[in-house]
Amino acid sequence: MIWQIDIMILTLIVICGVFAISVKDLLGAAVVFGAYSFLMCLLWTEMGAVDVAFTEAAVGAGVSTVLFFAAVHRSSRQVKARVSGRLLYKWLGLVASGLMGGVLFYASTDFPDWADPASPASSHLSPHFITQTLTETSVPNIVTSVLADYRGFDTMFETAVVLTAGLAVLIILRLGGCRTAGPVREKSAAIQTAYKDSIIRFVTRMVVPFMQLFALYVIAHGHHSPGGGFQGGVILGASFILLAISYDLKMALNRINEKAALLLANTGVLIYAGIGFLCMLLGANFLDYSILHRILPATDEIAARSHAMLGVEIGVALTVMVIVMVIYNNIVSNGTYEKGL
Amino acid sequence: MSNFFIATGVVLCLFMLLALYRTIFGPTIIDRMMGANIIGTKTTVLLIIIGTIYGRVDMFVDIALAYAMLNFIVTIAASRYFAHHKNIRAEGYGVLHYTPTKEADK
Repeated sequence: MIWQIDIMILTLIVICGVFAISVKDLLGAAVVFGAYSFLMCLLWTEMGAVDVAFTEAAVGAGVSTVLFFAAVHRSSRQVKARVSGRLLYKWLGLVASGLMGGVLFYASTDFPDWADPASPASSHLSPHFITQTLTETSVPNIVTSVLADYRGFDTMFETAVVLTAGLAVLIILRLGGCRTAGPVREKSAAIQTAYKDSIIRFVTRMVVPFMQLFALYVIAHGHHSPGGGFQGGVILGASFILLAISYDLKMALNRINEKAALLLANTGVLIYAGIGFLCMLLGANFLDYSILHRILPATDEIAARSHAMLGVEIGVALTVMVIVMVIYNNIVSNGTYEKGL
Repeated sequence: MSNFFIATGVVLCLFMLLALYRTIFGPTIIDRMMGANIIGTKTTVLLIIIGTIYGRVDMFVDIALAYAMLNFIVTIAASRYFAHHKNIRAEGYGVLHYTPTKEADK
């Protein structure tokens, strides 16, 4: 904690948060929300939670604001102000949320101090993780080992939640939604050929390979540095979103079409659960990776845990990458997959 | 040396405050985008500075790299958006100047 920078960042975050909900122009609100995400990433870095900061960086810079833009593109940019609602309900809502906020503030006084070594969270399991992770799993980054090994069951269902989110978007927009492209006047052919975006397209062609290489590095190097399946998957998905924006939706869909996308998304979860079931087949508990040294060549029980974590991270990355793409494609084309931004 | 980096970080935060003013009140969406972009650039630098203060730059470089690679996607998305929709100002753009019209009530 560096208190000088800390105070500055916290002040900026409060300002940003207040105005992100009070700006009436929805695009403006999306942009202010993006700035809020930058500041949150700084705060987490500053507290030493590097992995969380990395997730915020990948999602906040690459995906979430773009998704807001796509949603505004297909719906409306203005807030419909409902001034004519019953005043009583408004006051009731204000009182209820004020009470709730007061209760939460009161409860927050019971929290232990920041980084208090005697707090319950850091006195039961955390010492074991901190002291034993390297000898038990040979993974230097404790966050990765807790995420993929000690708490592997949670992470498996987090991946399933990501898959479910993508499926929900598919069901609402692709299957059930309206079949029109939404309230967007499509560009006429004359305007379309008027600008060819050669600079943007050239830069995209240059940058996307490096982006994907960097994403693979983030996935594979998550054992030693911040990063892992979620972050790398989001960066991979963002690279495809960049392709879809700078060329068009067809171009990105030619790379990974809908069928392949859904197959890959399910494969990701299958890899994760499959590794778990493989452990069961070999006679250990679900997701107890150390038994895998029997089938992995030239590994002992400790190295097997490390290798199995990499496999699990790859599964997570596959699912996250594809679901990020699917959500963007559906929102930006209103489920028709015809015209993007 | 650490004091120097802390001072640099605080000054960068102050500059961020200026950019944040443009992001929040900037009359058109272009001003907001510019402000948010500047905040993003300063975030990249601040990440490295914080890493230097903690003495673990290798942990923080990856995050800064991710920002450097992903930060321009939003700008491209915005330029595409304004190729479809020509108006830079939305109705009722400002925070302070917004008055709901009669049609908005319906």
